Amino acid sequence: MDTVTLTIDGRPITVQKGKTVLQAALEAGISVPYYCYHPGISIDGSCRVCVVKIEKMPKLQTSCSTTCTDGMVVMTRDPEVVEARAGVFEFLLVNHPLDCPVCDKGGECPLQDFSYTFGPAESRMDFPRRVFDGEGVKADVDFGPTLMLNRNRCILCTRCVRFMKEIDADAQINIVDRGYGSEIATFQEQGVHTLISGNLMDVCPVGAITTRDYRFKSRPWDNPGVVDTICTLCSKGCNTSAWLKAKPEWARGSRLIRMTPRFNPDVNNYWMCDIGRFDYHWVEGETRLRRPMMRRGTALEPAAWHDVEPRLRDRIQEVVTADPTAVRFLVSAHASNEELFVVKQLVEGLLGADGIKAVSMTWTRSEKPQPAGTKFKVPATDAPNVNGARDLGYDVGQGNDGLPDLTALRTAVEGGRVKAVYVIDPGPQGSIGDVSWLIEARRNGTLPLLIVQGVVTTPLTDAADFVLPGAAYVEKDALYTNDQGRVQAASSAIAPPGEALEDWQILVNVARALGLTLPYTSSSDVRRALAAAMPGGPYADADKIGFAQPLPASSWLQASNPSERWKWDFFFQDLPPVKGHSVQTEGSAQALFIPLKPVG
Amino acid sequence: MSFHPRMEYAPAKFHKSERTLAEQGGDFKYTPENQAKFDENVTHYPPEQRKSAILFALYLAQGQQGYLTAAAMQHVAQQIGCTAAEVEDVVTYYTMFYRTPVGKYVINVCRTLSCALLGAERVTEELSAALGIKPGETDPTGTFTLVEVECLGACDRAPVVMVNDEWHERLAPEQSAKLIADIRTKGAAAFTGCHLNKEAQQGAGARGTGDRGKGDRT
Amino acid sequence: MAYQRVLTQYINEPGSYTLDSYLKHQRGYEGLRKALTLKPGEIIDQVKASGLRGRGGAGFPTGMKWQFVLKDTPKPKYICCNADESEPGTFKDHVLMERNPHLLIEGCAIGCYAIGAKVAYIYIRGEFYHVQQILEAEIEKAYKAGYLGKNIFGSGFDCDVYVHRGAGAYEAGEETALIESLEGKRAQPRIKPPFPAVAGLYQCPTAVNNVETLCNVPLIIMNGPEWFSKLGPEKNGGPKLYCISGHVKKPGVYEAAMDTTLRELIYDERFAGGMMDERPMKAVIPGGSSVPLLLPDQLDIPASFDGVQKAGSLLGSAGLIVFNDSVCAVWLAMNLLHFYRHESCGKCTPCREGTDWLLKLLMRIERGEGQPKDLDLLFGVSNNIVGKTLCAFGDAAATPVLSTMKLFRDEYEAHIRAGACTLPAPWRAKHAMAGAH
Repeated sequence: MDTVTLTIDGRPITVQKGKTVLQAALEAGISVPYYCYHPGISIDGSCRVCVVKIEKMPKLQTSCSTTCTDGMVVMTRDPEVVEARAGVFEFLLVNHPLDCPVCDKGGECPLQDFSYTFGPAESRMDFPRRVFDGEGVKADVDFGPTLMLNRNRCILCTRCVRFMKEIDADAQINIVDRGYGSEIATFQEQGVHTLISGNLMDVCPVGAITTRDYRFKSRPWDNPGVVDTICTLCSKGCNTSAWLKAKPEWARGSRLIRMTPRFNPDVNNYWMCDIGRFDYHWVEGETRLRRPMMRRGTALEPAAWHDVEPRLRDRIQEVVTADPTAVRFLVSAHASNEELFVVKQLVEGLLGADGIKAVSMTWTRSEKPQPAGTKFKVPATDAPNVNGARDLGYDVGQGNDGLPDLTALRTAVEGGRVKAVYVIDPGPQGSIGDVSWLIEARRNGTLPLLIVQGVVTTPLTDAADFVLPGAAYVEKDALYTNDQGRVQAASSAIAPPGEALEDWQILVNVARALGLTLPYTSSSDVRRALAAAMPGGPYADADKIGFAQPLPASSWLQASNPSERWKWDFFFQDLPPVKGHSVQTEGSAQALFIPLKPVG
Repeated sequence: MSFHPRMEYAPAKFHKSERTLAEQGGDFKYTPENQAKFDENVTHYPPEQRKSAILFALYLAQGQQGYLTAAAMQHVAQQIGCTAAEVEDVVTYYTMFYRTPVGKYVINVCRTLSCALLGAERVTEELSAALGIKPGETDPTGTFTLVEVECLGACDRAPVVMVNDEWHERLAPEQSAKLIADIRTKGAAAFTGCHLNKEAQQGAGARGTGDRGKGDRT
Repeated sequence: MAYQRVLTQYINEPGSYTLDSYLKHQRGYEGLRKALTLKPGEIIDQVKASGLRGRGGAGFPTGMKWQFVLKDTPKPKYICCNADESEPGTFKDHVLMERNPHLLIEGCAIGCYAIGAKVAYIYIRGEFYHVQQILEAEIEKAYKAGYLGKNIFGSGFDCDVYVHRGAGAYEAGEETALIESLEGKRAQPRIKPPFPAVAGLYQCPTAVNNVETLCNVPLIIMNGPEWFSKLGPEKNGGPKLYCISGHVKKPGVYEAAMDTTLRELIYDERFAGGMMDERPMKAVIPGGSSVPLLLPDQLDIPASFDGVQKAGSLLGSAGLIVFNDSVCAVWLAMNLLHFYRHESCGKCTPCREGTDWLLKLLMRIERGEGQPKDLDLLFGVSNNIVGKTLCAFGDAAATPVLSTMKLFRDEYEAHIRAGACTLPAPWRAKHAMAGAH
């Protein structure tokens, strides 16, 4: 690797050739503020707050646009720099409303934080502020189906303009007018319509672009926990952070408050799509399954696990004894590798060595409408683990490139040859595709036994004899294999609701009831067995993958120390996660913790 | 419109922006002549750089209907192969594109230093009084729009006004009302034109530049 | 020896803009013919030897600029002729293009040949539509006569020249903003480096040259670099056009060598002929509105790049705005800040916010509502703009304030004491309307 060595504030620093002075400073832990610079989009050089003094250069230079050269001598704390920077901050704030208390960005705002550190003590501006659409939150105007725009807060860094042009490849955001009158806008105020719109809240360094989903919902200091995890709503496996709100037991509303992307250059870069970002409400929604249920007569009634298990055993064994080929499993590709591993042992124990043939994997696909040139393509497969199923030996047909073929199962069910179907679906509603034929088979009596292990109430759970409440993707530590074949960890952020259990646990319990001994008391036991069973490949170190834990509020407050703030900005695009760069790769994904300075 | 396979995006409108939008306008399409002009102009640039023709395309659209409606901007976007937002981005940056209807004569009074030193501010006041409108406004008959503009680049002939694409030089404040009257009766013939250009057109004996001769206005 | 005009000698002749006139009087296209017998490098060497400095404002040596244009690249190269002439007080390119367009066309063709380009774009400001019409008609004639197009003079050299019309933006005169505008975007400057010579138009190597600069090129090729460099003082050679406007008897464009003094330009009968109505001169802005003012006792200096710089100002675009003692310094700064606020592209923070702030302060002082602290504030805000912006616009915008404050601080103070403008002039608005919106 070609490197150059330069001096910043008297410290010799060696960086990769081609890096800018700003990048070098940030890598060395030297705080330099910036707004128009974003590591994921092109360099603009327009905000002017990242100015530094460089020897042998006549004027102050913007560090974001200056490439490091050998022997360069840079000063970021020179009095001239300090004064110039404060001057730019004064300009940035002359029209910025001081409505931080009602701004969704308040508490995690680079303008707020950097101004405290680098700005002047007070502004000399005594003219009224520029007002675009009204004062205060009245200036929050519609900016498409997912976003709000507050032009008063905008500092015209044009990150959003460049994001739409370069990443989304559909330049929907423009500037209208020029100079002092410049405003961020969309054509005829149509708003931003894109599948990756939520990223605009992340790229916005102030509270100008905010999401409707997070609007007035929480503040950083209400968020006691942030958990680094991955999104499982499609086969991409974006690295994300799940944010948890502090609330008392009795309070209404959900704990999971938002999902934000986490930098992983190999998977999702700095971005995530709106599906993963906004479609988490079902996890703590009204339709969640909280208790096991059993059919008594015609009615499906809540029951205790210890009552369900023997009854379930009797019904399954009844079918297996009569005809082992009459038992089938329909498993969603939302099932994790741990779950699929246990399912495999279950069916082999129950039905013999080729029991896996009784399992049909299922998932759905939907082509996402995106611009042809987009840099962030959302895959068509709406399930996280088709590749994991393939690796574990399940028949997945064309895998992520195609749809599952359920015709054989369907024909067998409709022909009355199948007497029991066990559905395992930890995904959101609709994630196993069209199962109306199963419901129809139940209605007309063709299928005597239907067991559904899932997370939400669906027409299929309504038609089942047994409903076993499982855990959604944010409720369990689990591994998924994305469309690149990368094994990634989704961490447990919240506990499963009510009596719901993690899916591997349900499967182990069912197996035990059926007289099979699966020696697992935790999901890490399963991973250990998985690693041992599949040596030499991406699963060989499955037992060593680290899972994040919610970081407590006290640590978060320490991390909110502005002098540490640059790291969040660099790695997390202005969102203040509490942990460092924990890119997950095969085998080893121990989170790297940023050393935090104690407050005071 | 929802991009999401399952979830509905919030359809509710919270608060509409107060920003003045371009008039949508009726269907817009270049006339065949303008289309031909555009197709010719676009060949001045490399094939993958059609966007370079955007200013020309906008002038054509503005020439065709007097000002730029949203429909016209969409048509230009289609011609160029960019988004309508990118067109609006350009339209709103440059001062010579109009987003609202303007009068038949758009009187652009240069207000920058050299013209101001010779009475441009007074010219604006006189024109404003004669027309009964403030700068930036159009008179009720839709004949005149009065605009203050920055340096037009003819400082030796101050004060200068540009009416549409024509120039009128050395407009003394006292003659401003008369100019309006002349335009009403004589139309474009009321303008002096650019002194250089006039000579170029007529091939007449030139005074050239560098002469403040009092009587050379006509 | 009287100075013999070479750029504008025939502009007062009828039909001076025609190809016939150009061929007859000015040895038209002989420079190009000669250039095509030389190697491109030799042309660059000649231009370098002539010492030609860019006439757009910065005075950068043209030969160097051409030499920097990246040679070893498969990409096409371009000449962009900057005909956006928008600097207040400047109107020389206007005259050249309207009265001597073939000189520019020939200069474009030679420039293309020198840097290895095949296309030159003349970016002309939108307000010069009448000039554009002449220019385009004459380009058409040049094509028909074989001076442009394919295989010029049988040399195998192809050259196209296109006129590109701007649409009202001072900032388009900044070279990278001009390129952005040519690419169909907002005329906003780019960060440098990369310089246009490496990545300019369409990210290809590009030379951006002012109209007057390119007009000098055929003369250098025809008459030799020595002839050029000996015209005027050392390092400031060649013919120069001066635009003189404001309170003088004969405002206009005058051609002279750069050993001519500012006093001559303003007072001599050959040039502007003295102050209008014999009123005493208050000051002159010697290089377009973006440069510091000079006082009447500073005029005995050569009107050259180096001469004016030595006196504490800049020759810039050689637009001399002369004004008499009826002009209020605060009003003058306000007038120009209105210009800069209106023309600020808004890309970078100090200029976008600072120009508005300065204008508001100046209007307050001019209205008589200023406070003593406003003077420090004006100074502070101006200095927070200078040197902090992406392009030179920021420095230009702060200059009228800093320069008038330096020379006429007493007037600012008088405004604040009196609570009104202390020097109202009859030629100014009767009501504080103009400039107030």
